[in-house]
Amino acid sequence: MRLEIESIDIKEIQAGSKTHAKNGVLEINLKELEELILRDPRIKSVEMDLVKPGDKVRILNIMDVIQPRCKIDKPDADFPGFIGKMQIAGSGRTRSLRGVAIVVSYPSTNRKEVGLLDMSGPIAEMSPYGKMKNVSIAPAIAPGVEERDFENAVKIAGLKTAIYLARGAEGHPVDEVEVYDLDIPNLDRTSGLPRVACYYQIYTPQFDYLAVSDPCFYGTDIRHLTPTVLHPNEVLDGGVVGWNAVKALDTYSIQNHGVIKELYRHHGKDLIFAGVVGMVANIEPTARVRSACMAAKLVKEVLGADGVVLVKVTGGMPHIDLAIAGEECEKVGVKTAIFTQPLTPFGTLSDTILFNAPSLNLIITASATFERTKIPWKAEKFLGGTAKTRIFCPDPIEQYAGDPIIDIEEYLLPGVLDCTGSAKVIIKEY
Amino acid sequence: MGGKKLRVVHFLNQFFGQIGSEEKATTGFVVKEGPVGPGLALQKELGDRGDIVATVICGDDYFSANVDKNAEEGLKLVASYQPDLFFAGPAFAGGRYGVACGSMCKAVGAELGIFVITGMYEENPGVDLYRKYAFICKAPNMARGMPEVLRNMVRLAFRLISGEKEMRILARENLPKPEEYNYFSRNLLRNEYCDKTIAQRAVEKLVAKLQGKPFESEVIPPTFEKVPPPAPIKDLSQCEIALISDGGLVPKGNPGRLASRSNLKWGSYDIETLFCEYEVTHAGYFNDHVLERPDRLVPFDVMRDLVKEGKVGKLHRTFFSTSGNCTVSKRCGEMGEEIGAEIKRRETIAGAILTST
Repeated sequence: MRLEIESIDIKEIQAGSKTHAKNGVLEINLKELEELILRDPRIKSVEMDLVKPGDKVRILNIMDVIQPRCKIDKPDADFPGFIGKMQIAGSGRTRSLRGVAIVVSYPSTNRKEVGLLDMSGPIAEMSPYGKMKNVSIAPAIAPGVEERDFENAVKIAGLKTAIYLARGAEGHPVDEVEVYDLDIPNLDRTSGLPRVACYYQIYTPQFDYLAVSDPCFYGTDIRHLTPTVLHPNEVLDGGVVGWNAVKALDTYSIQNHGVIKELYRHHGKDLIFAGVVGMVANIEPTARVRSACMAAKLVKEVLGADGVVLVKVTGGMPHIDLAIAGEECEKVGVKTAIFTQPLTPFGTLSDTILFNAPSLNLIITASATFERTKIPWKAEKFLGGTAKTRIFCPDPIEQYAGDPIIDIEEYLLPGVLDCTGSAKVIIKEY
Repeated sequence: MGGKKLRVVHFLNQFFGQIGSEEKATTGFVVKEGPVGPGLALQKELGDRGDIVATVICGDDYFSANVDKNAEEGLKLVASYQPDLFFAGPAFAGGRYGVACGSMCKAVGAELGIFVITGMYEENPGVDLYRKYAFICKAPNMARGMPEVLRNMVRLAFRLISGEKEMRILARENLPKPEEYNYFSRNLLRNEYCDKTIAQRAVEKLVAKLQGKPFESEVIPPTFEKVPPPAPIKDLSQCEIALISDGGLVPKGNPGRLASRSNLKWGSYDIETLFCEYEVTHAGYFNDHVLERPDRLVPFDVMRDLVKEGKVGKLHRTFFSTSGNCTVSKRCGEMGEEIGAEIKRRETIAGAILTST
């Protein structure tokens, strides 16, 4: 499967009468974009704003952050299952805009734990999205629409915007073409290089809002998935998207999946990239062992891997789930590197490990997602909410978006940490 | 604090305090104005940035006979000099001295809110007991290294007082790097920027592991003790049973202020009253099912039936509650011991049912 991602660097965005890109400037016809979003009857109206680094803007109730992308050579193939018709993502040519992101908010959400991004101040310095030109969209719910149904409408609106902006840049010179060309399965062992797979925990149902799982895989939720072989390009090219809530993970980070891109960089040099096994973290103990055994089988017997990087989503239960999958891999002779995310700021790193498995001897600290940080910064303008929007804190305190200091967990700051492994973050004992 | 000369108090044992060696170890607290013994070298390191206004001295045996009480007594002496900064030792390998330095630092730091700094050898029992509460600089096991340790203690003190934020820490705190300032880490974990992405490190290290080359795990996995299950209760119909849960069920308003994540507290509540008005403080699962019917978390309904049917003797009135979500396992163990002790103290309880999420 061969995927070419043609990147265009966007230096400036501005409202205009026609959506197009010229000399790195993306002009957006907001009226036309609004019409596109309002075609969904579940959405009554939509606030749209263009924001830039340095703006004294705080964006609230963030559900997702998305990179503008569209397929160039295939009709009806963008985010298949969500927008395009069902087909396997990951082949052909894709246009991608760099330096610009769509920040999707859901202002009237009743979820407690939602994302927040500032366009200047400490958070803007911490997050790559704080250094980009962003299109903030915040749809309002139409009467009679159910909350969970509306979440899906908001998600779709974000993905549509991503496609719309990327299509608008047609004709602009391409700044870089990345080629992701890999045959799966490829059991040719002539290179003598070790074969490495990625075990990718895509989702965990433990936080399911109103007991409904978020769709994140070809238009569906994957609560009942058994381990599935994926081509890495499916992940990079819209087969997998973010959850309905930012949790150190969003569509942008998945479109640029850290471990998948890193394995591609090493492919043919010191390893052969053997493919991806996608899976959800299990809530039930029996399901956990079943899927761990099946995952190990796919990694070893189907992909023929000698090694595997096990990538985890946020949470304590996924930590255990991932470890059991790792143990099963080691049992069948596949060597592992396993991600962990300490869930508490106290103790030693060793104290934070929730498994008891001597075979899992290569542990990578994939950031402490629940780390708290105090942000002394005041916005002048709020998008996706107001100065009175409550900001989640696990301590029993009340704090609001307009407070002079907020105390927030870093996994709610999109881009700061990244469950796919792209963040340059390590955990140290202090 | 720019320009102002700092008031410094120094704590020493009887030996370094020049009262005498082992035969004087039972000496109680003595206060001398100005620097004493190693305090002279400490004063030299402080230069004109600070003055050792007093040296508090106590014998090793005297102090260790009642650590908590003596730390309180020592604190009063220290506090009377209104210090801006507190040093203790260094204690090197001295076990009783290390505990004294550590507990003095803990008491002074907590009460006066000033930086407290000591120095110890890595095997000194004071390191693990007090690293959370004090900056403990690394020291050799013998007093020969005194000048270097004092120099480092002072360097660390002024780094802390500068209030400078460590920019490599994502949360930008005033936390000097343990390697750079040669002190024992204080049981804190922080996200820190590094040159390589998580993915880069994972793939590079896995390749080394696959090639049979040495590789370095970022965490040394722990070894857990095996807990043998106790003998089963023979006749439940004669027993009083208590209910315990870590699912975060608390009275409305959360009077015990349990946190919904990384919680370190537990509470005990009258179960009848609790089931009338309650809430859930736990951010690790979707709470609605429990809010709808708390019996789903704490089997109050079933227990009442079993008592009625005579299968269980009695249900204990008090429900023990905590919120077990991302709490470090050491603290979970401590809370278990605390709740266990409380259950024992009540004498009538023969068994407990623990439910989790």
